[in-house]
Amino acid sequence: MAVFLQSMISGILIGGVYALIGIGLTIIFGVMRVINFAHGDLLMIGMYMTYFLFALLHIDPFVSIIVTIPMMFLFGAFLQKVFINRVLGALPQNQILLTIGMGLVMSNAVMLAFTSDYKILSTTYSSASFNVLGISISSPLLISFAITIAITLALYWFLYRTDTGQAIRATAQDRDAAQLMGINVKRMSIIAFGMGAALAGTAGALISPTYYIFPQVGSVFTLKAFVITVLGGMGSIVGATLGGVIIGVAESVGGVYFGSGWKDVIVFILFLLVLLFKPSGLLGTSKD
Amino acid sequence: MRPFMQNMRGMSTLPVLLTVVAVIALFLLPNFVESTYALHIMILIFISVIMGSGWNILGGYTGQYSVGHAAYFGVGAYTTIVLMQYQNIAPWYGVWAGIVVAVAIALIIGSICFRLRGPYFVLASIAVAEIFRVTALNLKKLTNGAEGILITDIPPFKIGDIVITDFMSKIPFYYIGLVTLIIAIIVTWILQNSKLGYYFQAIREDQDAAHSLGINLTVYKNVALAFSVVFTSLAGSLYGLYVGFIDPTTVLALDLSVQIVMICIIGGIGTIFGPVIGAVVLVPFSEALRSNMIAQALIDSGLVNENSGVGTFLKEQLSHAHVLIYGILLVVVILFMPDGILGFIRKKLSAKQRKEAI
Amino acid sequence: MAILEIKHVSKFFGGLAANSDVSFEMVTGMIMGLIGPNGAGKTTLFNCITGYYPPSRGEILFDGHRMNGLNPDAVCKLGMARTWQKVRPLAKMSVVDNVMVGALCRTNSLKKARDMAMEKIKVVGLEKRVKVLAGSLPIGERKKLEVARVLATKPKLLLLDEVMGGLNPAESEEIIQLILDIKNLGITQMVIEHDMKAIMRISDRIVVLNSGEKLAEGNPQEIVSNKAVVDAYLGGE
Repeated sequence: MAVFLQSMISGILIGGVYALIGIGLTIIFGVMRVINFAHGDLLMIGMYMTYFLFALLHIDPFVSIIVTIPMMFLFGAFLQKVFINRVLGALPQNQILLTIGMGLVMSNAVMLAFTSDYKILSTTYSSASFNVLGISISSPLLISFAITIAITLALYWFLYRTDTGQAIRATAQDRDAAQLMGINVKRMSIIAFGMGAALAGTAGALISPTYYIFPQVGSVFTLKAFVITVLGGMGSIVGATLGGVIIGVAESVGGVYFGSGWKDVIVFILFLLVLLFKPSGLLGTSKD
Repeated sequence: MRPFMQNMRGMSTLPVLLTVVAVIALFLLPNFVESTYALHIMILIFISVIMGSGWNILGGYTGQYSVGHAAYFGVGAYTTIVLMQYQNIAPWYGVWAGIVVAVAIALIIGSICFRLRGPYFVLASIAVAEIFRVTALNLKKLTNGAEGILITDIPPFKIGDIVITDFMSKIPFYYIGLVTLIIAIIVTWILQNSKLGYYFQAIREDQDAAHSLGINLTVYKNVALAFSVVFTSLAGSLYGLYVGFIDPTTVLALDLSVQIVMICIIGGIGTIFGPVIGAVVLVPFSEALRSNMIAQALIDSGLVNENSGVGTFLKEQLSHAHVLIYGILLVVVILFMPDGILGFIRKKLSAKQRKEAI
Repeated sequence: MAILEIKHVSKFFGGLAANSDVSFEMVTGMIMGLIGPNGAGKTTLFNCITGYYPPSRGEILFDGHRMNGLNPDAVCKLGMARTWQKVRPLAKMSVVDNVMVGALCRTNSLKKARDMAMEKIKVVGLEKRVKVLAGSLPIGERKKLEVARVLATKPKLLLLDEVMGGLNPAESEEIIQLILDIKNLGITQMVIEHDMKAIMRISDRIVVLNSGEKLAEGNPQEIVSNKAVVDAYLGGE
């Protein structure tokens, strides 16, 4: 029982970070209907950014987020303007292939620049944990979770309480109608991709104290991000939040009971089941 | 210029003649070429064309973009190799077993996944391939997990008492690859010019319209899938036998699935010779990168100084960069030539046609 | 003998009743006009009839067969074909190949399909465009192509969804002639149209839908003098 609770709690904590990844992806899909296959690689870039800020400038990873977020936002905006924008009208299959290509370029450029050697970002508290009622909670994970909640709340505030945020939601609901109402949908797309990149990069920053850092780390997260967003419903931010936690828990508990080698398979099978039986997800607003 | 469907019918003699000459030349090539490396490249090209043609039937003609075809490549490879290594079943039976297993699995997956549209189908296909890869990693008793399987010996192929080949040189693989390739191309040609081909393309162009014209989507998609998987699985078996070693990272990875798609995209999806052009472009290029030929050529030609920063960088790193270049190539092709080389040519000619029609 | 019987058909999307208790019959060889303001449920009815989705309630009988829940391909094979409000050409295929796809519904031979296709292409007047890619055609020719394509499936009943939408008067006139020619071939037709003059000219009978319900049914004269119909068109707009 303690084991179960333990894995649940770890699952929830990591689920928070997963939620960030999912929210980023769902915003991109919601606003542009683009399936961003480079999402995990954006996370990877966030990880490397954080690593170098720590290794070269000794800035704590949880503090350097202040730098990482705007930098990743600008990077995402750049990618959208130069690449993604050109395929907004193309076949969805081609869009996916483009983002796959971009992901390959990112991960392999990083590999070329920094080699595939695993890098480890260890802070003084990297392996610290504390005990609550017999359950061991990892300190860095807890801090990530707290930061995730803060960011998510800020995100909700932005999307529901500011004009730009409402414009983004309008574009996500109905691009044509939003345009007719005077919203600059092109600008919204750039902002959306920037946000998605920033969220992915932040997730990367948050897990960097506890994960190995290497160029290919992104691909696993990309697929997980999709499972999360499809589970929660493509385009639904609340859905992505829920989905992140569910996947985090499923993975954690599944890993304990089936062995860590199989935990990825569990996630993928869950993915297929959702795609088959409820493709619009738990809270989806599928406008396909 | 003939429009899309009428590519090969009523064709003029020149392309046919060229094709026949090319085929004859390929058959005679090993007699004139001594370099085993050249033969090696040709065999890799053949395997790429076969797996590309396989994908092309499902993705190019029927419009179902699977980015998980490595699953069938790997199933073919593993079935054939496992049967040979552990059950002593000769590979000329093993490849058929590979095909049967791959098609059976594909039909199950297809009937589940084909209700998904566009990007969701792509995602499902990726998830399926990943499930296969992770399963292969974990079922160590069957597949030897991450260590992979190394072939010890391929039994000699005998008719009666005469040994046709003992598979010790590259030559048998060259001819097997060539013949399989020719079969793949002919099958694609036959499909394109049959009712099946018309129906596949109708599904690709507009699924709902096709449905309303009497086309049972599930049946025809699965037929396309079956044909597609036969050739993909064959390519996998052939690859495994030729290279002599398989592991989940080589034959079941997403990289491979992307490569298969790229072969068709670069050449031109939904065309008979698209996979040929794609393979002819991609394989030598990636081999040249991998073996440092390009770096060496840049240095030898004097464009780059061997001892400069750029020079040393190129010499050491370019061989690792082939996936990076794949990525760049993919981005460039999607942005500027989404219909591939053949599609690009076709568009130019049909623009002329449109001008003439008005 | 009624070729099509619509019996108390309703279609709900969530809480919205797109079609509500619609009933009418069609006799072989007639042209039935289906009219109503935008959003009245005309295309929804077409979609239910042709199997795009099943009706929530009611029955659809075609030539005696119960059609509820049949898939679109089965519907086509039974002899019912439809065109689309927003044309759906098979863009990368040529005109003749497009029509052949329709013809292949009835034969496995490419040669027979091609012959049938050429025949239908002549009926709609696209002989000079046989090898052009469908995606390059202007809208008027795309509409004709779609008609040729469904004609090739040898339908007993043809459903035309706003086939004159977006056409200029000359093109519309060609379509009207086409519809009358099709009638002479013995094919029954149901035509959704907004062009009132055209509907008056070609229809034997007219059914008026409004907000999902059948508002009126009758011959053109009866409909045009029906106060409720006039109100529906003028009042709502």
